[in-house]
Amino acid sequence: MIENDGYNLRLYVAGQTPRSVAALANLKKICEQHLAGRYEIEVVDLMKNPALAQRHQIVAIPTLIRQLPEPLKRIIGDLSNLEKVLVGLDIQPT
Amino acid sequence: MAELKRDIPQPPLFDDAQETVEAIHRGIVDAVVVMKGSEGPQIIMLQGADEPYRVLVERMSEGALTFGPDGVILYVNGRVCELTGYPAERLVHRDIATLFDGEAPTLVPNISLEASLLRNDNTSLPVSVWAGPVSIGDTSATLVTLTDLSVHRRAEQIAAAERFARSVLEQSTNAILVLAPNGRITHASWMAAELAQQPPVGHTFSEAFSLEAQSAAQAGTLAHFSAESLDTLLATKPFHGVEVGLQGDAAKRTFLLSAGPLLDDAKASVGSIVTLTDMTERKRAEEQQTTLVAELNHRVKNILAIVQSVARQTIRSSGSLGDFMPVFSGRLKALAIAHDILTQTRWTGIGLEELLTAVLAPHVSTEEERVAMEGPAILLSAPAVMPLSMALHELTTNAAKYGALSVRGGRIDISWTLTGGEDKSVELSWKERGGPKVERGTSAGFGTVLIDRVIAYDLDGTTKIDFDPSGVRCTLAFPLRDQAWSPVNTPRSAID
Repeated sequence: MIENDGYNLRLYVAGQTPRSVAALANLKKICEQHLAGRYEIEVVDLMKNPALAQRHQIVAIPTLIRQLPEPLKRIIGDLSNLEKVLVGLDIQPT
Repeated sequence: MAELKRDIPQPPLFDDAQETVEAIHRGIVDAVVVMKGSEGPQIIMLQGADEPYRVLVERMSEGALTFGPDGVILYVNGRVCELTGYPAERLVHRDIATLFDGEAPTLVPNISLEASLLRNDNTSLPVSVWAGPVSIGDTSATLVTLTDLSVHRRAEQIAAAERFARSVLEQSTNAILVLAPNGRITHASWMAAELAQQPPVGHTFSEAFSLEAQSAAQAGTLAHFSAESLDTLLATKPFHGVEVGLQGDAAKRTFLLSAGPLLDDAKASVGSIVTLTDMTERKRAEEQQTTLVAELNHRVKNILAIVQSVARQTIRSSGSLGDFMPVFSGRLKALAIAHDILTQTRWTGIGLEELLTAVLAPHVSTEEERVAMEGPAILLSAPAVMPLSMALHELTTNAAKYGALSVRGGRIDISWTLTGGEDKSVELSWKERGGPKVERGTSAGFGTVLIDRVIAYDLDGTTKIDFDPSGVRCTLAFPLRDQAWSPVNTPRSAID
């Protein structure tokens, strides 16, 4: 149950690139649908501060990091593949 | 279950190189991070054509943001962060409506409207909001620009304040000057420009205005200041209430010279406001009031002196208190009538016939034709009114008690003539007939002494009374001149 108690998600984007914008829109939609009320999203714009890429060893943008619940998980891409995102985040489809 | 999961070894973070390559290949990422020596990580755009636009949007002086169909903010530029006071990560994925103070504006494509942005310090900022559709990749979104209106508002307020100040300067009937800290005039009201010897703006006060003392007191005050020290004083110190005249002012007006500091928002002095207020009318009114009060004092004193004198003379001719009271009271009434006339005519005098009518009124009704009056129109000056009124009162009272007005059928003929050239004099004749026979020795109870005294002393005239058995005859002769009357002088008849 721990992993379902609260999702702390960090999305690394690069300004307003189409994939970054798509990733944020997709993430928001998925969270509202599957994690309503128990998630937090932090958006990190690496265009503004590229050094922040080091913390989670970001290579491609956009990249989503699930910080909580542990373990740390990452999904690379614009999160357009719903099934892959749900699996990647350990979310059971509702 | 959780414990079980912890036991499973975590894959290294960068074990997903293959996934990265696949993602790039599939086009679901559009930027990569590369390490660039000592500079640290750098972002490389895989689709670099929009980079110039990105820089442009990041650097623009207007706030720009995009939000998706559900109202969630997808992107904000640096200016939006400045305007709201929030970092980008606190703004992205928030609802657009939460950016505004109160009700969120209803955004209509390509229409600008005004709204209040809610800042992180709970203040609000007026902004102009413009919205338009934009598509980002395969996502349709709305682009919003935010323009800070506080600068415009401030400029509008400044412009309005400037217009207000200008209209005050232009409309004021006082001379108003604005001085810079160096003493140079920067603004001048219409009246100030009229009074100045030359267009005042750009000059010091002493260059534009030459002060002139109008009295010894003013000269003493002005002697304290050189032109330079006055200029410095006016520009730097509050300065109140020095009365001055201006050289070349044909109207010889008196002005009150004052100065006060001109303060900016931080209450620091940025110059001064100098005013020259025209005091001429006020001073004139003050002087007039002083004169009037002095006059009133003298008149009251004079009246008291006259009353005292009348009382004395009445006592001399009265045998008892019973005799005294009605005579004295009648004489006081005569004084009151004369005083009323003078007050009503504002001490300008009255026609002789009007005075006669006023004095006779208590004893003769207008329906009765018992008194005949004949003579040219004569305007008596104010100083003649009181003594003549008293003399006529004595004659009238006597006629009412013992003479023509004491019986039915008795009559009085009053006539007067104006004689002489420049020094005109009046000769007034009073003839009673049809009354009781006048006995010898009647003069004892008659106000002969009083009549003689006021006509001789106060009018420089003569009195002749003849107690003819058929009726009293009296001739009063006095010069008609605009006597050098002053309220300061007590009537001579009232001085023993």
